[in-house]
Amino acid sequence: MSITLDQVTKRYEGSTVVNDVSLEVGEGEFFVLLGPSGSGKSTLLRAIAGLTGVDHGRIALHNQDVTHLSARERGVGLVFQNYALFRHMTVADNIEFALRVRRMRRAERIARRKELLRLVALEGMDDRLPTQLSGGQQQRVAVARALAHKPQVLLLDEPFGALDAKIREELRRTIRQVQRELKITTVLVTHDQEEAFALADRIGVMNLGRLLETGRPDELYARPATRFVATFLGAANLLLARQTPQGIHFGAMPVNARLAERLDGGRSHEVVAVLRPEEIELAPTRDTLKTNYIAQGVVEETIFTGALERMRVRLDHGSTGAQLAATDGNAGASIIEVTRTQHEHRTFPVSLGQAVAIGVRRIHVLPTPLSSYTAWAPDAAAAARLAEHPFLAELAARMKTRIACRPEPALDNPIDSDVQLDNISGVAVIEAHPEAIDRIEWLLHNGAGEVMVLPPLAGAPHRVLIHWADDSARRSTLAVAASLLRHVTAEAVYLGILPQNVSDTQRPMGVRSLLDARSEAQAVHGLDMRTELRFGVAAEELRRQLEDAPEQMLILGISDLDALHEGYGPLFAGATRHAMMVVYRPAGEAAGQQLIGEERLAMSES
Amino acid sequence: MNAVRAPSILPGFGMTLGFSTFFLCAIVLIPLAALVMRTATMGWEEFLAIVLDERAVASYRLSFGAALLAAFINSVFGFVVAWTLVRYEFPGRKLIDAFIDMPFALPTAVSGIALTAVFAENGPLGQLLAAYGIRVAYTWVGIVVALTLIGLPFVVRSVQPALLEVQRDLEDAAETLGAGRFYTFRRIILPTVLPALLTGFTMAFARGVGEYGSVIFIAGNLPFETEITPLLIVIKLEEFDYAGAAALGFIMLVISFVMLLSINLLQAWGRRRMVAAGR
Repeated sequence: MSITLDQVTKRYEGSTVVNDVSLEVGEGEFFVLLGPSGSGKSTLLRAIAGLTGVDHGRIALHNQDVTHLSARERGVGLVFQNYALFRHMTVADNIEFALRVRRMRRAERIARRKELLRLVALEGMDDRLPTQLSGGQQQRVAVARALAHKPQVLLLDEPFGALDAKIREELRRTIRQVQRELKITTVLVTHDQEEAFALADRIGVMNLGRLLETGRPDELYARPATRFVATFLGAANLLLARQTPQGIHFGAMPVNARLAERLDGGRSHEVVAVLRPEEIELAPTRDTLKTNYIAQGVVEETIFTGALERMRVRLDHGSTGAQLAATDGNAGASIIEVTRTQHEHRTFPVSLGQAVAIGVRRIHVLPTPLSSYTAWAPDAAAAARLAEHPFLAELAARMKTRIACRPEPALDNPIDSDVQLDNISGVAVIEAHPEAIDRIEWLLHNGAGEVMVLPPLAGAPHRVLIHWADDSARRSTLAVAASLLRHVTAEAVYLGILPQNVSDTQRPMGVRSLLDARSEAQAVHGLDMRTELRFGVAAEELRRQLEDAPEQMLILGISDLDALHEGYGPLFAGATRHAMMVVYRPAGEAAGQQLIGEERLAMSES
Repeated sequence: MNAVRAPSILPGFGMTLGFSTFFLCAIVLIPLAALVMRTATMGWEEFLAIVLDERAVASYRLSFGAALLAAFINSVFGFVVAWTLVRYEFPGRKLIDAFIDMPFALPTAVSGIALTAVFAENGPLGQLLAAYGIRVAYTWVGIVVALTLIGLPFVVRSVQPALLEVQRDLEDAAETLGAGRFYTFRRIILPTVLPALLTGFTMAFARGVGEYGSVIFIAGNLPFETEITPLLIVIKLEEFDYAGAAALGFIMLVISFVMLLSINLLQAWGRRRMVAAGR
């Protein structure tokens, strides 16, 4: 491996800028780190270069640990957004800088310089000053300068940021050519997904300091695993749907019956579906659609962009009975984006305000177990108040999902007439109070998979504690934790708790389960978490940990409702400042749930 | 030049040029011309006698020597101060930044008296130094100290903006290319701020040559030893020897002009050499 990052963490003044990033970049690979500004991608690049130290983790270049080496000693080439050329030196002196530092002989220096100038197509510019060059030329000089000392890896920090579109494209091509010719391992940082697609062998998407997903550009686009990647890499409509043994439903509308055989009869549950704008078809009526009908809609906006026509279509809930809930979480919740080719436009021209039937060619279902939130409270007003809880609102906004409000039925009426088993979907959220445990049990018993207990003052956590009552809850708990942690800047800690009087022969088992948990989190979810082993009564140990510091959150996995009451009841009875989420999958069902992760629905147009 | 070809949005090039010329004449050129005229009333021999008088020559050496030395000291310390202020965030940074300008605002006599109080043999610092046999007050060292105080803001204020322009990225680039700290400083940072540093040096020097108020208190004003030329001029004036005072003033004017001109030429030459290298 050319570059190996192992659990690299960087903090600035208490906030975690780079959070447990592990990554391997292969020999000669062109890797693009993509993310919005503030996602930590530039900091990560500077850490690789050695310009920024790391607080935790290791960095290796060509299998040699360089974590504690300075930038000087690492021998990397770095290109900056603003070129950072030495303006009082000529192009030749700039390029030869690294060679002079290394006391290379004059003849060799000149030969190397000429070679580099040829490589970046700037022959004959040796004696110019940087100020006499255009922006594109300056950046070429910067690339040549960064390559002069034959670095092991080439790092580029938003190298095209300051250039206009045309020169950008030209320079992009040059850099790709140079990279191919030298076969040098390259990492480029950008916020521009088009740039990432054009250059990358592999893309890594960062957000909130975490490396969310890595993969080939086409793979990431077609099969993102997270909402963030789905929406950041191209446009995406995220819709809430139900997955049942019969297939995917948008409201009452089953989309594809063939789906059934790929599912294994688990209970019906809510999922997040990705509909790319270009996979959506519009037609005058439902019968004229060539693809799977999902709903009626009204055209709200059309924009002509040359090759494509971009539209916004408002879904009409009433017309089909389809409860189509876009997961935007805001007022424009039921607007979906559609792009059509010129050909499609000619076949079916539409005008503003026109009613259309909406079909979809291809649906991708995100493997996230957290689809949406529902605030449960004794009455509608209290539920609405709970839905406005700052932490919940922020979490929902970051997850681009909605918060629904439900008045609770009386507890002694196990299944209320309007609360269907199916209707408890997504994460149920309740306010913390001394009898919360009864409420949790009722919700879990009636079909909820996750219940979050939210004290009024709970804020965004700095640390998320993860614990499960027994190993059969591991998978589901890790999936929920990973999904949640992608949307908060917190460190993850798994607490394994063994009884105080555990025998010596059992101790290694405890350690082993920690390692299993950690490797599963890493392998399946790309989530790096710390692990700690404690001895004592689980509930007491967890309480102690929670009282230890402010701004924490607990994720507790169980596979047996009785175990919840007996083992963890006291945890919910007392006053707490921390949000706590209970993840419940009945033992036996947990295994079946896993399939959803890899589920993808590809449908032919016919 | 650009103003002639491309008028700015504010009109009135003619008016502003006229005003500048008038103002320069009224405030600078005419008084200087008067000085020259006054000197011209003297005979050649008389002029030489005053100007080449041993006491006068000693005072030139002291005035220009001390100003030059102070300007050098300021170039080093002013650079460090500017560097600290630009590069580091620390509590009290704004306050220190404001203090830099104090020598500008303080009446020079006040700083002179203050320095004398501190460096006199019974003053707090003077006592300390006296223990090592170093005398500051009433020696040429005191003069250099006073001129350093007066000149510091010039260097700091001219280097500060230049340092702001040296982006961190340049140093980072140099480091990734394998340069050590000293190499980076010598080859990257210093060349970038050198013109500004030279400007600061020139201003501090010019100010030092003309300084009077702060020096006379700390200098002790012994003829041949700690007597600066401006003081000599004042002495002549007090003796109603206006012509003599004008003659000394004229000499100061000539020497200052030659020195400032050569520094400016040096700077221009440096700039040209840099551009020439680009061809």
